Amino acid sequence: MPMNSEPRVQSFRFANPWVQVAVSTLCVTISELFLKRGAMATVHVSQQWAWTGLTGLASPLVWIGIIFVVLSFITWLYALRHLPLSRAFPASQAVHVLVPLSSWLVLGERITTIRWCGIALVLAGLALVAKPVATLEEKL
Amino acid sequence: MTLLSLLLIGVSLVALVGGQLLLKRAMESTTGRGFAQRTFVISLLAGTLLMATSFFLTLGLLQRFDLSYLYPFQGLSVIFISIAAAVLLRERLTLPLIIGSILITAGVVLVSIS
Repeated sequence: MPMNSEPRVQSFRFANPWVQVAVSTLCVTISELFLKRGAMATVHVSQQWAWTGLTGLASPLVWIGIIFVVLSFITWLYALRHLPLSRAFPASQAVHVLVPLSSWLVLGERITTIRWCGIALVLAGLALVAKPVATLEEKL
Repeated sequence: MTLLSLLLIGVSLVALVGGQLLLKRAMESTTGRGFAQRTFVISLLAGTLLMATSFFLTLGLLQRFDLSYLYPFQGLSVIFISIAAAVLLRERLTLPLIIGSILITAGVVLVSIS
């Protein structure tokens, strides 16, 4: 990738790095939904190798999920070229809201009160650590 | 939740964090030195291998658990990153990191008994 194209590409709205953070977050959520569906479709493929997860590859839904994983990765890399990790990473934590919500709305998972409370605690904790962790990760 | 599942969740998280750190090291090594050098190739291969391990272990776990059950465990990965920073860089753990880590752990405990 050329390293001197920032000013030109940023004039497009879709090329705005914050839009790409949102796209990346959505891609993660969509990929998790496809992976879950694909994993459920392949439960009976093989008991012996199930724990490796490799049996999931028998489902086309998993391959669609993988496409979205790759898309989220590319859009994330793009966003990171323009944004500091300490700002982009906290924003990306929105997946921890989107994934449980879509598990409930799209997959119809029954989420008990205790699990909602747990999810809320994880979110509160992530809100506190997201910025310091991103700063640490930048140094690593 | 069996002990084996818990172990698989743990291994997949450690592999994810390790993979990300290796990929970051691989990309950083390219600035100035280009792509044809040992650090880049080895880190890239090892990082990709760890990311793939984590991916397939998670896929296997998704065959047995709800997505809304499994996903909150990902929150623990930030704790592994803080530990990595503390060990590798001798970073001091800040107060928000400690309080946040306790909240995340408590949340994951609640989810895992739900």
